[in-house]
Amino acid sequence: MESTTQTRSPVVEMRGIKKNFGAVQALRGVDLVLRRNEVLGLVGDNAAGKSTLMKTLSGAYTPDAGGIFLEGKQVHFSSPLDARRQGIEMVYQDYALANNLDVAANVFLGREAVSLNLGSISVMDHHFMEQETKRLMDRLKIRIDSVRQKVERLSGGQRQAVAIARATAFNAKVIIMDEPTAALSVAAIAKVLDLIRELKTQGVSIIIVSHRLEDIYQVGDRMMVLRHGRKVHDSPIEGDIHEFRERAVAYMVGARDDYPLAETA
Amino acid sequence: MTFIADARKLMRENIRDYGMYIALFIIMAVFTITTDGVFISSRNIVNLVNQTGYIAVLAVGMTMIIVIRHIDLSVGFLAGFLGAATAIAMVFWHWSVFAAILFALGLGVLAGLLTAFLVAQLGIPSFVATLAGWLGYRGALQLVTRSTGTIVIPNDTFNAIGNGFIPDIPAPFMPEMHKLTLLLGLLGILLFVWNELSRRKKLQAYDFEVLPTEMFILKLAFVSILIGAIAWVLAGYRGLSWTAVIVILVVIVYDFITTKTVLGRHIYAVGGNPEAAELSGISVKRITFLVFASMGLLSALSGILFASRLQSATTTAGTLFELDAIAAAFVGGVSAAGGVGKVTGAIIGALVMTSLTSGMNLMGIDISYQYIVRALVLAAAVIFDVATRNTKQ
Repeated sequence: MESTTQTRSPVVEMRGIKKNFGAVQALRGVDLVLRRNEVLGLVGDNAAGKSTLMKTLSGAYTPDAGGIFLEGKQVHFSSPLDARRQGIEMVYQDYALANNLDVAANVFLGREAVSLNLGSISVMDHHFMEQETKRLMDRLKIRIDSVRQKVERLSGGQRQAVAIARATAFNAKVIIMDEPTAALSVAAIAKVLDLIRELKTQGVSIIIVSHRLEDIYQVGDRMMVLRHGRKVHDSPIEGDIHEFRERAVAYMVGARDDYPLAETA
Repeated sequence: MTFIADARKLMRENIRDYGMYIALFIIMAVFTITTDGVFISSRNIVNLVNQTGYIAVLAVGMTMIIVIRHIDLSVGFLAGFLGAATAIAMVFWHWSVFAAILFALGLGVLAGLLTAFLVAQLGIPSFVATLAGWLGYRGALQLVTRSTGTIVIPNDTFNAIGNGFIPDIPAPFMPEMHKLTLLLGLLGILLFVWNELSRRKKLQAYDFEVLPTEMFILKLAFVSILIGAIAWVLAGYRGLSWTAVIVILVVIVYDFITTKTVLGRHIYAVGGNPEAAELSGISVKRITFLVFASMGLLSALSGILFASRLQSATTTAGTLFELDAIAAAFVGGVSAAGGVGKVTGAIIGALVMTSLTSGMNLMGIDISYQYIVRALVLAAAVIFDVATRNTKQ
């Protein structure tokens, strides 16, 4: 089991990432590997550096040191949009959807299909976008009444599903989900986790940042723990949930700290 | 039974869209009754349309501004100032009508870009930036008309924009009716029906939900009769005015841009969630510049329509236009929260507000009461907006 995970090629690799904000060392040389078709859970206490690391990967921050490698090639992102164009999609905690627009419009936001190209005032191909969205929703088994429904009329779980679907719509290489279940009801959480499993069966590579360890346990293949801007643990998710939770918490709070120190420390 | 159920469902789902049409219909019906039919007479309706024109084009621009969560208070005096600029170019500099109009439109775009620079580039709240514009353009208007006072425009071509009518086609029948207007009305109906039918066919082909057949036929019949009735009434006087033609063109262009194009989609996305739009690669700044530039252009158009209608540029032209335009936009269903509002709504809103003025004038109602009635209608429109919004969630 583990050997197959190990031999799968990494889709993204971050090496020795450092990021300072003034005197604060938010990241002190972090390595991250995400393999193809893997779900990686990223955990850590508040201010451990999770979101800084993910913002670096999604192009919002430029690292002070270290490199990012996408499918083996080093990449530099000038902005979240640039990262997105190169295949890194981020699903934001507040979904980042335009609630006044319908589902199809949100899925294609900023990437509208065009039937007549006139530059800025290109005519949109409504039917194509609606059909594609419908197909996408069916493929991911997301249940909504209509792709023409305005997002403001969807439930929280449905919105999260739309946000995730939108991230997968354009063959992203990596999808980062920031607290995908934070604001959801129990029933909605189950649906979102199902959706993540569905994505995995379809071969997507995912990083989940979450405070909810049980979510990561349920859908994750591997867990990585950050603490004070350092990686303190990285292991496959196995064993029963109690053992897993204890292990995660021990590393998060610093009760255990046995990760081989990197040369960058 | 299903027909009534369908009608109810349709009404419930589209109450926000239909509300103002119903309001306009009621207002017109009430005035028609209280004025013994004078209100609905051809002459009054033509007059009403021409009076609405210069506010309607501003309301269209203002709707876009409010959709992207801004406001523009400067448009009234900007319109007045640009009307004066057009007059000066024609009367004192002896420019051709065409050149003078282009000059004003160009200045309008520049003024819009200046506002956008303050708002999008320097981050000044649009309320303050355009309040400064309100003061500035008011001063500019007084400055350019100070030495001359009211500038009379002796140019018939220019004055036709606000007072003239499209020519008729010579025909031996129906001597008292404007044939070309009727023909255009018929053309409008045919275009509408054809467009609706082809859209419905396409939707059905893709398995999307469409209106039930009876409802669809009812909608076709209703809108066709409406277009026909308007054409008939207008044809009874002197036909379609040039102002109406300009307003219709503005509506067609803006409706097309907002509903069919990528730019329109991005404008609404910026209004709905600027952060999400930015993350999706939409430049909020660029959209802000474009929307304010369009507002400037439409302000110039409004100023030209008004100057042409009065056949002169006055020292107080444009006073309170901005507030009329904002009121029209809100009556037309734009939402202060941003992201919601249609071009067609702005026109209906403008028609509602001018109908109120026109109807109450015909009834001889005191101007003080007129303001109060208009205040109530505006408040009612916004209350309606808030109420229908809350039931959704």
